[in-house]
Amino acid sequence: MESFFIRYRNLLVLLVVLVAQIIGLAVQVRRTNEGRVSFDPQDGPGVRLIRLWASAIVTPPERMMHSAKLGSISLWQNYLDLRHVSEKNQDLQKTMDRLRLEQAELLEDARQGQRLQALLGFQQKYIYKTVAAQVIGSSGSDQSRVFYLDKGSAEGLARDNAVITADGIVGKVREVFPHTSQVLAINDQSSGAGVILETTRTRGILRGNAAGQPQVVGILADQRIQPGEKVFTAGGDQIFPRGLPVGVVQKVVRDPERDSFIDVIIQSAAHLDRLDEVLVITSAQPHFSPEQQQDLATSETLKGAEADTIKEQKKASEVMAERLPGLTDPNAPAAQPAAQPAAGAGTQPGQAPVTPTLPAAPTTPKLLHSQHADRFSPATAQESSPAPRTETKQKLDAKPQQSLKTPQGPRTQQDLKSPQTSKTPLNKVRPTTTGTTPVRPVPKTSQPVTPRRNP
Amino acid sequence: MDVLGANFRRELDSHRYPMLVYALVPLVALVLQAWLPRVLGHYAWFDLPLVVTVYFALGRRSPIQGTLMGAAMGLFEDALSNHAIGVNGIAKTTVGFLAASVGVRIDVENHTIRLILNFLLSLLSSAIYVSIYHVLLGLDLEWSWYTELFKAIGNSLVALVLFPLLDRLQIRE
Repeated sequence: MESFFIRYRNLLVLLVVLVAQIIGLAVQVRRTNEGRVSFDPQDGPGVRLIRLWASAIVTPPERMMHSAKLGSISLWQNYLDLRHVSEKNQDLQKTMDRLRLEQAELLEDARQGQRLQALLGFQQKYIYKTVAAQVIGSSGSDQSRVFYLDKGSAEGLARDNAVITADGIVGKVREVFPHTSQVLAINDQSSGAGVILETTRTRGILRGNAAGQPQVVGILADQRIQPGEKVFTAGGDQIFPRGLPVGVVQKVVRDPERDSFIDVIIQSAAHLDRLDEVLVITSAQPHFSPEQQQDLATSETLKGAEADTIKEQKKASEVMAERLPGLTDPNAPAAQPAAQPAAGAGTQPGQAPVTPTLPAAPTTPKLLHSQHADRFSPATAQESSPAPRTETKQKLDAKPQQSLKTPQGPRTQQDLKSPQTSKTPLNKVRPTTTGTTPVRPVPKTSQPVTPRRNP
Repeated sequence: MDVLGANFRRELDSHRYPMLVYALVPLVALVLQAWLPRVLGHYAWFDLPLVVTVYFALGRRSPIQGTLMGAAMGLFEDALSNHAIGVNGIAKTTVGFLAASVGVRIDVENHTIRLILNFLLSLLSSAIYVSIYHVLLGLDLEWSWYTELFKAIGNSLVALVLFPLLDRLQIRE
C-alpha cells in the first residue's frame, strides 16, 4: 500500500489539487431560478479573503511601479523636456483668459438652470460627490476586464459605485478593499449598464464581447440605428446616473443567436485601455461646495421673488378669467337710463353729460371694474396711464371700433416699466364718477367718452 | 504512464535555484502581468505566470512542484480577476504537471523545444480554461481562437528571452 502512494504520488497530488479546486468552483457557482448557472455577484467570505490577499500582495509593487512611472514622466516633462515651454505658456494664458469668460457665461447659465429646475420641481440629481482615483493595475487577463484603483473603503468607496472619466463612463466598483478597489469595466462580458441611443431613443443593455468591445445587446433590428449615433446612460440600473456619455455607435451586427435582434458595437467615449485617473461617484445625493451653496442661496432668493410674482400674476389672471367672458354684470339692473342722470351728475362742471349713443340698454354691455388692471381690462389703461389721457380719448372718439378691440390703447413706457401701477386695484386709484351704478369708467378729460357699438 | 511515476525522475539533472528566486520571480511575473496590460493595451498577448510555471516545471522536473506552482499561479490570477477562483488554477495545475512530466524525458535546454513546448502548453491552457467554463460550469463565455493563438505565440517569444535570463539564476555545482 505504501509503495502505491510512493509510486503514484505525482498523480495523487495532481488529483487532490484538481479536486480541491473543482470543489471550490462548485461552491462559487450557483444555479438561478431560471435554471441557468451563474456566478454569485457577491463573493463569499472565503473567496473575498483570497481576493483580498492577492490584492494586498500585488498592489504595493504596483503602487511603486505606478509612482515610479509618474515620477519619471514628471522628471522628463518638468526638468528635461522644456522646449517651447514659453510659447506654450503664452498659448495657455490666452486659452485661460478665454475659458474664464466662458466659465462666467456658463455659471450664469447654470444658475438660471438651477432656478428653472427648482421651479419645475425637477428632482434629477445632477451634482455628485466624487473621489478621484488612479488606476494601478489590472487583472492581467483579457477574459476579465477589471482593473484596480488606489482608493478603497477608507476613502469612501463602496460596491456598485459608478466609475467615470471626463469622457464617459468606465465601469463600476465590483469589490472594495481597505485601500484598493476592483472595478469591473463596461467592456467585460459580465458587466451590464442601461443605455439609450440618442436619436432613436432605443434602450438596451451594455456589456462587453470577446474582443473587449462594449456592445448594446438585446434590441430589435432597427434600420435607423446608424454608426456615429451617440449613446448615453439610461439611468435605470441604479448605478450610472442618467445622461452620462457612453460612446458612439461603431457598427451594427446581427445577433448570432437570435435572428430578429442586433448587437450594436460601441466605440466607448472613455479610453478603456489607457486609463490613468478616474472619478468614482460615491454619492448620488447633491453635494455642494460652500461657493455653490452661496450661489444656490442667492438663486433661491431670486427664485422666491420670481415665484411670488408669478403667483400674484396667476391669481390676477384667474380673477380676470372669471369676469372677462361676459364683460357684463349679470346682477346689474336692467334699467340703464336710470343710471344716466347719475352719470351726468358725476361729470365735472363744464363738461357735457355722458350721452350714450347706444340705442337700447340691454344691448349695451355694462363693463365692470377690474380688480387688477391689465391691458385686457377696458379703461384700465386710462386709469393707470394718465399721461396720454387726451390722446387716448381722441383715439377712442376717432376710432371707436378700434377702441373696443383694444380698449386700453397704447400703454405708456411708464406703465411698462412700473408693474406696480398696473397691479393696483382700480377702485384705489380713482373714485368712481358714475355714482351708484357705474356704467363705464369715465376718463378725466374735457370731452365725454361715449362707448359705441361696432357698426 | 511510466513518466508519471516518481521512479523515473532524473533528479540529478534538475535545476536548483535560491529560495529568493522561487519567491520573487513568480511575484514579479504576477505583478507585471497585472501592470503591463495597462501600458500595452490590446497588445498584451502573453501570460507571464504561465511562462514562469512552465519554466520552473521544466527546470525542476518535478511533477509535484510543477503542480503546486501551477496551482498557486493560477489561483493568484483568478483572485485578481472577477471570475470564479479555480478556473485558471485548474488550467495551470495541469500545465505545470505536464511540463514537469515532459521535462523528465526531453532536453529542456534546447531553445526550439522550449519554444514549441510553450506554444503547445499555452494552447492547452486556453483550451482547458474554455472547457471548464463551457463544460464544467456551463457558463457563457465568448472567446476568440485568434487571440489565444496570438497569446501562445507571445508566450513562446517571451520564453525565448526569459528562460536564458532565469537560467543565470540557477545554482551551479
